[in-house]
Amino acid sequence: MAGRHRHRETGTSVVVYADNYINDIEGEKLEEMCDAFLAKGFKKIVIDFSGTDLVNSIGVSILIGIIEKIKGKGAVVFSGLKDVNFQIFHIVGLTRHIRVFNNEEDALKGSASCDGASL
Amino acid sequence: MKNRTLFSVCPDAEFFGRTREIGAILERAKGLRRIPNVFLAGKRWTGKTEVLRRVHRELFWSQARVVPVYYQFKGAVDAEAFAEDYLKEFIKQYLAFRKREPDLVRNETSLERLEKLLFDEDAFGLLDFTLIHREAKRSGDKTAVLRNALGAMELMTRRTGTPVYLMLDDIGSPSHTVERELAASLNAGSFPFIAASSTRAFLEGGFLSSSVEQMTLGGLDPDTSVAMMAELCRSHDIGFDTEMLSLAAMKLGGNPMYMKSIVWAAHREGRDLKDLKSFVELYSGEVFEGNIAFALQSSLRLKNPSELRMLCALMGAPGGGAIPGEELRERFRLSESEFSKTASSLFAEGLAEYALGSVKWAGDAVTADFVSYMFETRIKGRSADEARTAFAREALKEGFIARGARVQGRLREDAASALKSFNGQKLVKILFRNQAFSSMNRGGATRPGERKDSEEVVVPETIGSFESTRWEKGETGPPIIIAHGFANGRYDAGNEVVWITAVKDTPSPVNIGDVENFLRRSQILKENFRTTRIVRWFVGRDGFTAEAQKRLDGEGAFSSDTVQLNLIRDSLEDASVSERLKREDNALPLKEFEVILPASTKAELVAVKAVEEIGTEMGFGDNAIGQIKAALVEACINAFEHSKVKAGKVFLRFVAGGDRLTIHVQNGGVDFDSPAGLVATAETEALPRKRGWGFELMKGLMDEVRLERISGGARIVLVKYLIKKGETGGREA
Repeated sequence: MAGRHRHRETGTSVVVYADNYINDIEGEKLEEMCDAFLAKGFKKIVIDFSGTDLVNSIGVSILIGIIEKIKGKGAVVFSGLKDVNFQIFHIVGLTRHIRVFNNEEDALKGSASCDGASL
Repeated sequence: MKNRTLFSVCPDAEFFGRTREIGAILERAKGLRRIPNVFLAGKRWTGKTEVLRRVHRELFWSQARVVPVYYQFKGAVDAEAFAEDYLKEFIKQYLAFRKREPDLVRNETSLERLEKLLFDEDAFGLLDFTLIHREAKRSGDKTAVLRNALGAMELMTRRTGTPVYLMLDDIGSPSHTVERELAASLNAGSFPFIAASSTRAFLEGGFLSSSVEQMTLGGLDPDTSVAMMAELCRSHDIGFDTEMLSLAAMKLGGNPMYMKSIVWAAHREGRDLKDLKSFVELYSGEVFEGNIAFALQSSLRLKNPSELRMLCALMGAPGGGAIPGEELRERFRLSESEFSKTASSLFAEGLAEYALGSVKWAGDAVTADFVSYMFETRIKGRSADEARTAFAREALKEGFIARGARVQGRLREDAASALKSFNGQKLVKILFRNQAFSSMNRGGATRPGERKDSEEVVVPETIGSFESTRWEKGETGPPIIIAHGFANGRYDAGNEVVWITAVKDTPSPVNIGDVENFLRRSQILKENFRTTRIVRWFVGRDGFTAEAQKRLDGEGAFSSDTVQLNLIRDSLEDASVSERLKREDNALPLKEFEVILPASTKAELVAVKAVEEIGTEMGFGDNAIGQIKAALVEACINAFEHSKVKAGKVFLRFVAGGDRLTIHVQNGGVDFDSPAGLVATAETEALPRKRGWGFELMKGLMDEVRLERISGGARIVLVKYLIKKGETGGREA
């Protein structure tokens, strides 16, 4: 597993901290991490973007792929989005498919009640 | 999972463009515009229904302040049947919105079942309408039946305080009684509405008195059209050439239905869209005998040979001009009543327009080819193969001509569209003074407070426009468009205005010769109009020579280049653009910075760093800077991807103006990805598509995004104004 992204495990949930710039390379690393956590049996993945300044369209496409993959197997939620990143996800229509929280704590609480049906 | 479908719409992946129109309609629906009512005009299959249904879907799922009601007219039905259908739709959709129950919108329901449902839901307010309907029907009072149905929305709005937003689709030309009563219900002004049609019959019927803004849905713009065809080709595994798609899109007028039909035909026949011959064969197959032919045949209802003959005459009028009614009557030996009947039928079909006693072709180029084919085979008796061969021969020749001159014609359309949008708006005068505008953009001479060009031009309310060809047989020079209108909102002789507008759409500036030609011709044309006021306007694609500017200014004539024309069009659509242009700090000098990026990993972050510095110095807020950075990253990635040379560089130019930052991103490559124009804001079940978001993101994050074709490639131009735009919210706590 690519281990460059930090993460925090809490029960069946895990918080993955996204990099400063989500492009193809960083997006793929995130994808590998999510795959690995799912394989380990985690049911809820919070991707925290509080340290992310930029997400490009290739990064967005990888994130869509992540959501697609997790669909039915668990739940994924986003937290800590800067306004511009929220706007990017809104433009592509991702915010209709994924719950977005102000911070990881809210996301963990929110995702705890989420059993994947939200996807 | 709940099926959230309402009215059927095409899959998001096949819906391109129209983001701006949908946004503008939504703003009106939500009461954010002064004139909320819209007449959405557009030729057949330009996507009016799709736009209205997507607006309905957005309003249904994304807000609770306005009840969206969509009604599609279903051809000729009697007033009573219409009233029942209209009432049922209103009640169904009202209840569906209140209960957030999309099934109710989707499913057909009888009046009896609807009444039972209303009773179960204790919706007695709505139930009243069905009871009155039954009672009026039983007593044979057709007027009461109609008024009850049409008045229901107004009454519910008053009772509940929650307005309805009514979307009337395919309004066409309803029966006299329905038209009168419907207009009366809309005139009451209790709720905003939009009415869509491919003819202006309802708008011009004389019953509608409430203020209505006209919005025209033309074909998709060339870049979006090419992007749409390319995306469809990719998804159907059809090989294509971008240049060929560009030509095809132009020939098809950017009409989504035509473009889809051609791609589907290519898929069916296992052809590609790489060369002109393939396209011409697919095109003639579709337009003469395929799906497009079938659609045109079933919708046009051409009843007799006179109609076909008259249409062919109109299509062949020099310069696409108008033919006087008298001349048509004589040519086809028609009595007054026969002529009137034939012409009315063509107007109703949206194939002809009538202005100042003359008739003009109003259909699109594809319909023209279809009508010509019908004429050749039905009237002239040619075999289908012969007509098709003749067409292919001409189309191939025309296609090659079009290749060399494909840019031409767009400026004329843009100028004509601007003239048609004149509706008494106030525009900043500098947009009509090229000399002053050019000097301002050179960082010149003006200082805040000194500029007189913050004065305004009040444009008239245009009632019609046409080309001057009929009055100018044998004249040479740029085409002239004549637009008639009234000033000051008063429709009398004293306020009649004619705008005489010349358009030079060639890659050279308007010179003194062009100006003298225009002034002479406009002097002659002036004799044709008994008006008190003539306004002369020259639009030049590549601007004006200094001598030409001076002469036009001296004559008191207006002059605009492409940039000014684009700003005029934006200002006509959105008054805030004009307000922004009036700000005196627009006149501050510009600063320019250039950055060259090498082709290396994360090189776009160098551009990001540069724009962060420039943006901060200009006074942009953090969020705006974030938006510019993200858009710039997309432009750079796109430029790198399409660089001709593997290790090609990307050239960036940052222009910091008083009120905006403009960024030019250029590579040495062949092309950029064109804008997909996909609307992604609507509610859908499926996840968004994974790829092709670059342009969409740039458009969403910046105030203006342009793709300019230049010698040897293309350039993306990103513009951000210092005035912040509204931002989207919606995250959870």
